Amino acid sequence: MKTKRFHFWALFWPLLAMLYFFLPMYGTLDFSLRMKKGVISLLAYQTVLADPQFLESFRYSAIMGVITVTISVLLFVPTVYWVYLRLPQARPVMEIISILPFIIPVIVYVFGLIRTFSGPPFQLTLTAFKTDILITAGYIILSMPFMFRAIDVGMRAIDVRSLTEAGQSLGANWVQILFNIIFPNLRIAILSGALICFATVIGELILGDFLVRPALGPYMVLVGRDRAYEPAALAIISYALTWGCLGLIQFFSRGGNTQQQLIGR
Amino acid sequence: MSYLELSHVHKAFAGTTAVEDFNLSITQGEFIAFLGPSGCGKTTTLRMVAGFELPTSGQITLEGKDLTFLPPNKRNVGMVFQSYALFPNMTVAENIGYGLKVAGKSKMEIKPRVDEMLGLIHLEKFGTRYPGQLSGGQQQRVALARALAIRPHVLLLDEPLSALDAKIRVELRHEIRRVQQQLGITTIYVTHDQEEALSLSDRIVVMSQGKIEQVGTPAQIYNFPKTEFVAQFVGQINLLPVEVVNPAQGVVKLGQQMIQAGQFGHLNGKPVRLAVRPEELNPGFSEGANNLNGKVDTITYLGSIVRIRIAIEGHPVSLDIFNERKLKIPTVGDPYQVTFPVDACWLL
Repeated sequence: MKTKRFHFWALFWPLLAMLYFFLPMYGTLDFSLRMKKGVISLLAYQTVLADPQFLESFRYSAIMGVITVTISVLLFVPTVYWVYLRLPQARPVMEIISILPFIIPVIVYVFGLIRTFSGPPFQLTLTAFKTDILITAGYIILSMPFMFRAIDVGMRAIDVRSLTEAGQSLGANWVQILFNIIFPNLRIAILSGALICFATVIGELILGDFLVRPALGPYMVLVGRDRAYEPAALAIISYALTWGCLGLIQFFSRGGNTQQQLIGR
Repeated sequence: MSYLELSHVHKAFAGTTAVEDFNLSITQGEFIAFLGPSGCGKTTTLRMVAGFELPTSGQITLEGKDLTFLPPNKRNVGMVFQSYALFPNMTVAENIGYGLKVAGKSKMEIKPRVDEMLGLIHLEKFGTRYPGQLSGGQQQRVALARALAIRPHVLLLDEPLSALDAKIRVELRHEIRRVQQQLGITTIYVTHDQEEALSLSDRIVVMSQGKIEQVGTPAQIYNFPKTEFVAQFVGQINLLPVEVVNPAQGVVKLGQQMIQAGQFGHLNGKPVRLAVRPEELNPGFSEGANNLNGKVDTITYLGSIVRIRIAIEGHPVSLDIFNERKLKIPTVGDPYQVTFPVDACWLL
């Protein structure tokens, strides 16, 4: 009897959660397909994809995403590695710093960035290029919790110290150890962090809006203000992109599990 | 002629001394074991030789060249870790050849060396496998081959067999000794397992609380321990609190029973302890030997050996006898007489 009750509740809550999550999404999808009166069509999607402003904002956000991911990887992997190896006592501090973007509202953060870096001596909002530098730095900070966590988990899974010492005893220098041993063994962790980081940049609104850059987030809001069906189509496209990233993470993580199982043999 | 020399090496971590005034000369091709309990400083000393730790003071030289502050990647010292530390992203062959690759050797040079090393550890067919596809014993053999592939001046092994099961451990320690003798490589082996140290080494360095207690061959360490710590740490021993009766002749007394010690120094009035190994004791009485009477306290079967513990004058004394089918085992509480030669015991 107890087991049956357990089964019921074990199914009930996930089902409720799934309904809560999927019902609105289904509603959005259904709405996005009803642009032509009385007919199910992809017209809203065609309109969005044909809009040069969409392509431009998507291209901009994608480029920013790639730059953010690259800098984040090059910044966080050596930093976390060094903390693991030489400053393990600094790990709690790193943990706190890494969650700051969750604690400080983005709007506060953006105003802080603008106030600090728009005036002399930085003047980073004077040209588009300089603003792009500022927005990239902002994206790096905003996506830091995801990138840091992913790399931290990856570092925990490998014996960083022994692998480093083994490399050193074989004559490898720091660069060789980092690129031949540490990076390849963090491949899955880096990929997971990179994909979440990319998805964050693609959907980010406030930084792009306040720094007046042609990012996808502000474009979606703009479209949402003026039209009805296209924003729904954009929301579904955005979901699809994020889910695509998550799917890729799952796919590559599965490879990692297989390797772990082999190690465990 | 000393090959590797550690002179007055001292290491402290945040005010805590890990290694104190460590002095050791190692000749080329010698197999040295650092033996001691956890926290005695043996791994720290090894890591200082490898360059992973810097001594607080003292000097480490190899063939007269000062290594003390040389980075680990410039020392040409091979290291085998307890956790194997094989690179999971590389195959067995790539792991073995990694040291040669970073040294800038060509593929033409690396391949034959890797094949030679695979042959040395009898894993010729495993070159294309990944570490995760090997057993623990195989992984450690690959780690050994990887450390040897760079033809290091010194091979360092940090408790390499601790993570393996008992049978593999015995097999692999013979393998390590065979390879070491075949290549004639100077080796330092850290272990807390006395059996490993005794069976493998040319010399053993017994350590306690950061200091060397004794350096000697396995026979010297086992048969002639210089300190009570060494006597107790290496093998089983009976240590009996005795009262000195005749300091000039080494005659002591345990309760009311007289004992003649075979080896004794200055008996300056301090409390002394009589040391005798359980295997030196025999049941019965012998003329001209030490004979003690007591009562059987406990009997323990250890497979090939039966350990009988006798209470003599209120002190437990262990006696080891070889197990055989016809062996007559006494019962607990029986009166029991043991005998041991005068030269089998000494005073500490």
